[in-house]
Amino acid sequence: MTEPIVDHDALQPAIARGDTEAFASWLSFGEPILRRGLTSFAARVDVEAVLQEGLLRLWQVAPKFVPDGQPNGFLRLGLRITRNLAISETRRFHGRSEDVTHAEHEPPDDSAEDARSDPMLRTVIATCAEKLPDSPKRALLARCESRGSDDDKALAERLGMRHNTFLQNFTRARKLLADCLKGNGIALPGELG
Amino acid sequence: MSDETTDDLLIAEVVSAHRPPPKGGMLRYHPAWHDLSPEGRAKAHEVARALRAAEAALDPRGLSTTAHCVLERIRGASR
Repeated sequence: MTEPIVDHDALQPAIARGDTEAFASWLSFGEPILRRGLTSFAARVDVEAVLQEGLLRLWQVAPKFVPDGQPNGFLRLGLRITRNLAISETRRFHGRSEDVTHAEHEPPDDSAEDARSDPMLRTVIATCAEKLPDSPKRALLARCESRGSDDDKALAERLGMRHNTFLQNFTRARKLLADCLKGNGIALPGELG
Repeated sequence: MSDETTDDLLIAEVVSAHRPPPKGGMLRYHPAWHDLSPEGRAKAHEVARALRAAEAALDPRGLSTTAHCVLERIRGASR
């Protein structure tokens, strides 16, 4: 049975008025889809840098958004912005190539990744994170709690670890988390382990 | 503790949401991204997809570290 399409364009008027809470709600739906839409560029551009800049540009152009009559037009605008930015970055680093030309013509996939909204998934992830050994857990949670505002050297110093030890602990955490989720029959988008 | 490969540690760096803000209109990549092979970069992307989903599941508002970063940059720009 096909899932009904939820139209998140209802948030766009508030986003256009500068409501960051509305944009936060939209991001919980749109960010994973835009990230997935950059998969074909992942070997050639830093997707994280492209995605964050694309999301900022989407916020900036929100007041000019004109609905096209189909659900989730704001998401499709975000897909165009991030993919065009990725193409510009690919050309900046690698010059024009067949790969870029091909990627330009791939239709964007705007189907939802709704794993985040599953309450059982949230419970299992929280339980698996809680079971991690102390040092890997501290490294993983430090990243979550800093919300990307601190670099790893600052986080490692705060935890009393050397930078390399922090990275080793973080890697152990993600691999153990992957094993635990797999043991519970949970598959996240992408590949954790 | 010594099972991690060099690529594992580079991937651990790259999957952080922390990025310096653009400078002179140019995006700034994570320095470790340049040290990864194309296969390592693709792997880092897949790890980041999974990590962001896990982060959002652990966050009271369902937001990943990427979403928090973007919101912080927006709020910082309007101050």
